[in-house]
Amino acid sequence: MPSKGSAVSTLETPAAPSNEAPRASTVRRLATYTTNQQFILFLVLVGVMIFFDLHNTRFFGTGEFTNLIFDFSSAVLIAVGEMYVITSGGIDLSVGSTIAVSTVVGAYAIQYLQNHHWGEFPSLLVGTFACAGVGAVVGIINALLITKARLVPFVATLATLSMGEGLALVFAKGGTVGYDLAAQNWGATGVWIFRWLTIIVLVITLVTGLVLHVTRYGRYNFAIGSNPFAARAAGINVNRHIASVYILSGVLAGLTGMIWYIQTGGGAPQNGIGFELEAIAAVVIGGVSLTGGVGRFSGVLLGVGILTVVHDGLVFINVATTWNEVVVAGFIALAAVLQSLSIGTRKR
Amino acid sequence: MTTTEREPILELRNISKSYGSVNALTDVSFRAFAGEVIGLVGDNGAGKSSLIKTISGVHQPDAGEMIVDGVVRHWKSPHDAMEAGIETLYQDSGLAPDLTIGSNIFLGRELTRKGPLGKMGFLDQRTMERQALEELEKVGITVPLSKRTVSQLSGGQRQAVAIGRAAMWAKHVIILDEPTNHLGARQSLEVLKVIRAARDQGLCVLFISHTLPHVLEVTDRIIVLRLGRVVKDSPTSDYTVESLLGTITGLNS
Repeated sequence: MPSKGSAVSTLETPAAPSNEAPRASTVRRLATYTTNQQFILFLVLVGVMIFFDLHNTRFFGTGEFTNLIFDFSSAVLIAVGEMYVITSGGIDLSVGSTIAVSTVVGAYAIQYLQNHHWGEFPSLLVGTFACAGVGAVVGIINALLITKARLVPFVATLATLSMGEGLALVFAKGGTVGYDLAAQNWGATGVWIFRWLTIIVLVITLVTGLVLHVTRYGRYNFAIGSNPFAARAAGINVNRHIASVYILSGVLAGLTGMIWYIQTGGGAPQNGIGFELEAIAAVVIGGVSLTGGVGRFSGVLLGVGILTVVHDGLVFINVATTWNEVVVAGFIALAAVLQSLSIGTRKR
Repeated sequence: MTTTEREPILELRNISKSYGSVNALTDVSFRAFAGEVIGLVGDNGAGKSSLIKTISGVHQPDAGEMIVDGVVRHWKSPHDAMEAGIETLYQDSGLAPDLTIGSNIFLGRELTRKGPLGKMGFLDQRTMERQALEELEKVGITVPLSKRTVSQLSGGQRQAVAIGRAAMWAKHVIILDEPTNHLGARQSLEVLKVIRAARDQGLCVLFISHTLPHVLEVTDRIIVLRLGRVVKDSPTSDYTVESLLGTITGLNS
């Protein structure tokens, strides 16, 4: 606390707030909502977009913008799941390999149904449930390892990461499962700059963001990540909540497996491998504290946005994709510096 | 302070508790009344922790009975004790530093919106923030903005808010385990002020502390535990720091 000899029991703020001024408090809420870090992230996102557009005018062409939004939607769900896990005080390293297993299993399910003369759309729907189910199973394994076997989340999900990678290769027998041109074609359809798939993903994203910030479930998530002892003392079933968060992350990764299936028209066992780091990077760039309890959903969306633009933009200006990781590393470092600065001003 | 005609809000009769061969509590009996601050003191291992864990439902006693507001009660879990109006503030639990003051006050008891949105768990944040401020003011805590996170408060303010939270939800008794630990002199005074305010609201406060000057300052009565037994139970005016220390250690009793 400040060493100024101020009054003990009051926390004086310059502008005396009153409960009778809802308008003023709305402004204040907006001001706190858009913390410095969010604003800087937004500027960074706009900055990189302008940068790439100056280097290649086709970058903002409608077709490419559609691709950009699509790439955003294929990365955003695992980042959302990761955000839930990290704000609750854990970490989920298994999301990448969950994409791989679910995309392979989903591909088998769709192949089987199509061989039995199911239509394209019903079999895709069942495949989606299969993918989500695989994700849920991985999530349940993580949850059991963490809440029952009392493993540290890092170790527990490292185990399921390896397991998923291995199983995806075993299931796929080394190749890619299925060749579904119809799915791929459907994946390219949509309205205006949005593909149908993109719209579905954005709806899921908005709902999960709303749940995190305005519902009891989200409140418990932050409380547990901030101080699990206080949460338990307040009567919150901490283990049950933590279990549910890992299952949510698993399901979102499973759904991402379905997105990749539609995008590539098949279930390749290398799909999604390594993407846990992309998800964690997006979350960290978005200003979420790795120690839990702190983070804004809008920040994570901006983090995913920045990574997607950098990803696609480097390709567009003909920079070797191998540079991608280096640039991403720079953004992570920038985000970390911003975070430590903002903690400094919060006089912890 | 204690008039004989009044009904105690909390009464312990011959409570005993042992862990294996260690007798943590032996025949502990006392009566506590509404609007009273009781100091619970004793050396390390005297049984203070065992006693508050028994009252708050963390442990079940091996023998004896507990009467809350005239009814014999047996806790199966801390939740039972909370439902019966006993709130406990442990040293390590406290508040969630990254949440706002209002969110902390209502943690685990969130208010939801009216209608279908509320059934889906949508929070009524505005009402919670407003009520949190009102309730904190009742125990003399003024925080201009309940929208601040707890991490922005000083140690003393945090503890005051935590006690305010307990006082808001407790119907009968609040148990405070070392609430002035790690606090500076000034911050401790602030916490003691909140304890008095909670008492004046008609709550019974069990105040556990090693800081004897604080105990002598804020309590109406002091119960001294030694080796799991109550060795003295007298009004605070009967003690001085020296005599209290003597009673705790057993060197001049």
